[in-house]
Amino acid sequence: MFCFMVEMERIVKANDREYNEKFQYADNRIHTSKYNILTFLPINLFEQFQRVANAYFLCLLILQLIPEISSLTWFTTIVPLVLVITMTAVKDATDDYFRHKSDNQVNNRQSEVLIDSKLQNEKWMNVKVGDIIKLENNQFVAADLLLLSSSEPHGLCYVETAELDGETNLKVRHALSVTSELGADINRLARFDGIVVCEAPNNKLDKFMGILSWKDSKHSLNNEKIILRGCILRNTSWCFGMVIFAGPDTKLMQNSGKTKFKRTSIDRLMNTLVLWIFGFLICLGIILAIGNSIWESQIGDQFRTFLFWNEGEKSSVFSGFLTFWSYIIILNTVVPISLYVSMEVIRLGHSYFINWDRKMYYSRKATPAEARTTTLNEELGQIEYIFSDKTGTLTQNIMTFKRCSINGRIYGEVPDDLDQKTEITQEKEPVDFLVKSQADREFQFFDHNLMESIKMGDPKVHEFLRVLALCHTVMSEENSAGELIYQVQSPDEGALVTAARNFGFIFKSRTPETITIEELGTLVTYQLLAFLDFNNTRKRMSVIVRNPEGQIKLYSKGADTILFEKLHPSNEVLLSLTSDHLSEFAGEGLRTLAIAHRDLDDKYFKEWHKMLEDANAATEERDERIAGLYEEIERDLMLLGATAVEDKLQEGVIETVTSLSLANIKIWVLTGDKQETAINIGYACNMLTDDMNDVFVIAGNNAVEVREELRKAKENLSGQNRNVSNGHVVCEKKQQLELDSIVEETVTGDYALIINGHSLAHALESDVKSDLLELACMCKTVVCCRVTPLQKAQVVELVKKYRNAVTLAIGDGANDVSMIKSAHIGVGISGQEGLQAVLASDYSFAQFRYLQRLLLVHGRWSYFRMCKFLCYFFYKNFAFTLVHFWFGFFCAFSAQIALDTSYWTFINHVFIWGSIAVYFSILFTMHSNGIFGIFPNQFPFVGNARHSLTQKCIWLVILLTTVASVLPVVVFRFLKVNLYPTLSDQIRRWQKAQKKARPPSSRRPRTRRSSSRRSGYAFAHQEGYGELITSGKNMRAKNPPPTSGLEKTHYNSTSWIENLCKKTTDTVSSFGQDKTVKL
Amino acid sequence: MEETPQHCLSRLPDNSALKQQELPAHRLYFTARRVLFVFFTTGIFCLCMGIILILSARSTQEIEINYTRICANCAKLRENASNFDKECTCSIPFYLSGKMMGNVYMYYKLYGFYQNLYRYVRSRSNRQLVGKDVKAVEDCAPFKMSDNKTPIVPCGAIANSMFNDTIILSHNINSSVQIKVPMLKSGLTWWTDKYVKFQNPSSKNLADEFRGTTKPPNWPKPIYDLDKKDPRNNGFLNDDFIVWMRAAAFPTFKKLYGRLNRTHHFIEGLPAGNYSFNITYNFPVTRFQGEKSVVLSTLTWCGGNSLFLGLAYTVTGAITWLVSFAMMAIHITLKNKQMSFFHQ
Repeated sequence: MFCFMVEMERIVKANDREYNEKFQYADNRIHTSKYNILTFLPINLFEQFQRVANAYFLCLLILQLIPEISSLTWFTTIVPLVLVITMTAVKDATDDYFRHKSDNQVNNRQSEVLIDSKLQNEKWMNVKVGDIIKLENNQFVAADLLLLSSSEPHGLCYVETAELDGETNLKVRHALSVTSELGADINRLARFDGIVVCEAPNNKLDKFMGILSWKDSKHSLNNEKIILRGCILRNTSWCFGMVIFAGPDTKLMQNSGKTKFKRTSIDRLMNTLVLWIFGFLICLGIILAIGNSIWESQIGDQFRTFLFWNEGEKSSVFSGFLTFWSYIIILNTVVPISLYVSMEVIRLGHSYFINWDRKMYYSRKATPAEARTTTLNEELGQIEYIFSDKTGTLTQNIMTFKRCSINGRIYGEVPDDLDQKTEITQEKEPVDFLVKSQADREFQFFDHNLMESIKMGDPKVHEFLRVLALCHTVMSEENSAGELIYQVQSPDEGALVTAARNFGFIFKSRTPETITIEELGTLVTYQLLAFLDFNNTRKRMSVIVRNPEGQIKLYSKGADTILFEKLHPSNEVLLSLTSDHLSEFAGEGLRTLAIAHRDLDDKYFKEWHKMLEDANAATEERDERIAGLYEEIERDLMLLGATAVEDKLQEGVIETVTSLSLANIKIWVLTGDKQETAINIGYACNMLTDDMNDVFVIAGNNAVEVREELRKAKENLSGQNRNVSNGHVVCEKKQQLELDSIVEETVTGDYALIINGHSLAHALESDVKSDLLELACMCKTVVCCRVTPLQKAQVVELVKKYRNAVTLAIGDGANDVSMIKSAHIGVGISGQEGLQAVLASDYSFAQFRYLQRLLLVHGRWSYFRMCKFLCYFFYKNFAFTLVHFWFGFFCAFSAQIALDTSYWTFINHVFIWGSIAVYFSILFTMHSNGIFGIFPNQFPFVGNARHSLTQKCIWLVILLTTVASVLPVVVFRFLKVNLYPTLSDQIRRWQKAQKKARPPSSRRPRTRRSSSRRSGYAFAHQEGYGELITSGKNMRAKNPPPTSGLEKTHYNSTSWIENLCKKTTDTVSSFGQDKTVKL
Repeated sequence: MEETPQHCLSRLPDNSALKQQELPAHRLYFTARRVLFVFFTTGIFCLCMGIILILSARSTQEIEINYTRICANCAKLRENASNFDKECTCSIPFYLSGKMMGNVYMYYKLYGFYQNLYRYVRSRSNRQLVGKDVKAVEDCAPFKMSDNKTPIVPCGAIANSMFNDTIILSHNINSSVQIKVPMLKSGLTWWTDKYVKFQNPSSKNLADEFRGTTKPPNWPKPIYDLDKKDPRNNGFLNDDFIVWMRAAAFPTFKKLYGRLNRTHHFIEGLPAGNYSFNITYNFPVTRFQGEKSVVLSTLTWCGGNSLFLGLAYTVTGAITWLVSFAMMAIHITLKNKQMSFFHQ
């Protein structure tokens, strides 16, 4: 019955399980675990014996069971082997147990499923494809659903996709109008029998193609109608959806990379070493076997007076053959099995050191660091590339209103800044806000001057705050406690509105035609005359309102570069002043916006408004005409000032990034966020600086363009490079580089590469890959924006595969899981809501800055210690084994052991665990009379130790050996320190000299980044919300909107959604290059 | 609400030196003064030790007489196993030029006899030798049982191949008077061997205890008849037997045969003069191209007459001194360079 055919398309019929069962679609149960109780033993053993060492020792064990060959007792091998295998198995079992647990937890979540015309609670795992399920507000979505209807008008619903792509702003989904009419009518929903024909399961988060056939008509489906598993329903009290993909077929699961067995490079080195040593062992065995054959034929023959050969063992060649195997067993200690055990133990210890580290404990969330994988510690010291998520990892995803410049005056200086600005430091307590009851408690502002100005009634300041309170797309709501809650579509807009609120300009509510704000205690209702929405070419947003006095005003906010061109010439002085301020803000990594207003005259506006209506009604060139009209009215603006919003970085990010790049570790930022946001953060945490020679932006839309851009950037780079080095341009060189022979060119100067998801998809194609990688590796900083989870993993794979570098991925959300899994080391940020990243990670801690300690302290130490241990171990084993090789020449190559190896393994362990005392006690026990009395054949060494240790000669030999082995090392070290001192030696010497000279003075250099860069329009913001607001589609009609004297802007109510969709697909979400927007 | 801080505290890792990896550590810093001091003292110590050892080793006296070739006719006789019952004796005169003072030990020394062969070493039964069960012969292949299935005592290849020459040293005071030099056959073994590893079955009559067993094929007499003169030196407790049973680690080895009984004429040791070894030649070595010799030697506090340890100490000491001078030179030149560098 199992279908081996690859699913080409999917046909799903609603409410018809029997029909859907024909196709054998996966159900909604997920498995991330590897074993169950029955399969654990065979699969686990099979996996373990795939390791070279384990297999080798199994063979050895079998050899030892043959009495003719066995020169050692069998338990010397089986004890360590069983120990290793049990330890690994127990670890695997516990890991898998936790995976089972988390699977169960997810599979047993409840959701309401429509079965037999009734809503029933079902576990997630029992949800089948074609079922209709009901979701409620703030619930996780159980499977990939086709949205049928929702509580909001027009079948709208809002989802948060943070788990999928890391973006926290809400996305709108809307149902087909035919299905949204079903509403919450259970009977009608139960009768719904539409058939969906759509693409097979895939991992593309932003694409969906399908057709719904229902009631003899066909409706095309796209990504806007689909809610994906992993999303959370927000601001929507309920919605109904039909399951299209379930369980492993969902886009979330398809995006999670396979769990891979991670190995450290030392492990791999060990495996090859073991092979080499094995070869060496064979050589030794052959030499000794040949020796034995020769001896047997030349001398042994005559020696048979004293030692008969058994019949049939006469041939000396056969004796040599047996000797070969015997020596393989005797000399087996060169291939160290206990090494594997000891390595595991050491790594476990290192993991505990990480868990115990107080410097990686985050007290605010009471989360200590955790080494979830205990086998990777030394790899931490070898990291060359770090792939970091942005939101939640580098940034806190909190936007705060930090500073502003109003009418040429800066408010909100950072307290402990430079000397001339210290007047605020005396009063460090935050500003006491006017309307305490309404204020957002988390908001803090340290500059009292602004408050003063407000109280003084400075009209410019009031106007400034009024713009903040009026010109936005925020929706307000009152929660049960009567508090005002803002629902924001982009967090920085929320920051601005919240700031205005705390300064007394409280945005209260809005209808399609009005905006009500509370201005310093008095309620004022503005009539919203027009909403000039944001888009990516305009990079600004304006509202035209009529205030109660009847004046018509245009309030505008937008990117400074755009807005400054629209200013009235009289603003020149203010403009240059504000411009300076903006540079200062940008230098601190703040996201800036310019604020302006314009008084409109009634007549002019009416004319303009009429033209706008005409344009709206037009069928041809509608968008162009509207854009022209917007352009027309947004001119001669009066500048009010600028705002600076901080996308709050996590603590210590800048320092961490700096010190990591000092350690030559390259940091790549992979984010699902928009390009501008990503660049902004790049600047904020010093990854991008103004000192950089060039920043390449790759934003091509097809493979050819991307390749061209990459080539150009590369030429540019090498050209500039030559310029730098030679002073004149050398003619272009053909660059036909093979993928696996990419040589890192030495690049003088700093470069940065910024590439967005769409271009990345093309760049990751096989023939462009090499160009991308080459360019990326020459750049100091690489930022990839708008990438899907799988692309993150692909980028990591690319670097891992072709650069042979050790990679680390760090992230906090479900969208980082695949990247975390595919990197050599995955780090999850713990202490947050989502657990997926942590569960998939190898190490987890609460703050990005702990990465510094993890890599530079724990990683380094682990690596050092492991290397020292390995060197010692190999030395010890070789010393021990080669004695037997040597002794072979004296004992007629007869595989007699010179030292009692049978107990060596055991003694060895005790010895390693640090007890010479135990060593001696065991030695003496085994050489004691008592044990000889009990087992005379097994312990025939009685008297040896006693007799030899009482001889003075022995002690003299021991002493001489010690001297002869220690002194050369001392000489070597002494000469090394003298002749070739390392950096640390020099530093130590310098420190000593300093200590003698004078007590150390602590002076910490303070670095402040100075940058002249202006941030762009930094909204994580989408076009279309203006229309939603003015059309009132997203507002629940509580009371009919008040009729105003003005003619209302009329939009065709059936076309507005199409309008919105069209706009969003055309929207240029970056500076005009990236042509997609994910909703 | 009060539980929260406790909860926080419990997750905070302990602030112990071990857990925070702040255990005190010391790194040796090799300053010139310290290193050179250590080197010079070690050098002096090694040199002194070496000289003492060499002197004491040279103060020992040793005589070795290889009698494989000298008793050629006996060797030839023994090459044929069928002549086992024919006795062959051989007398080797030698002249002792100087007195051998103190305790004198007599050894036999074998060349090319592989007592360390794996199968040979294993071919013994410690359970039998400890006297618990004289019929325990499991480990003794190929000398477990005789042809008529009676267990061999002592079993195994080691015991079977026991050295069975008798060596008698006599002092020829003049051409007519010969005195047999008194040799003690006791005290040749380790204490543990005599009192722990080898025990006779507890019975007054040894022959009774060994009834139902047979002697090893190469032996002329059974184990309980090894020493006719001293009944306590029989059975498993025979000193020669114990000495032989401790398998040597190398194919050339010497084993203690007897020690001088310092009485009467020999109270100070062996006086100079003419001596002769009277050897009953039983042990065949020419068949495996081995050799055997008899050794007379005195001992000092640090063992026999081997110069190796003394030379090793001397060489180490000398090298240490050389190296320390070299290091001193390097250090001084470097220091001068640095100084001049700073002065610039």
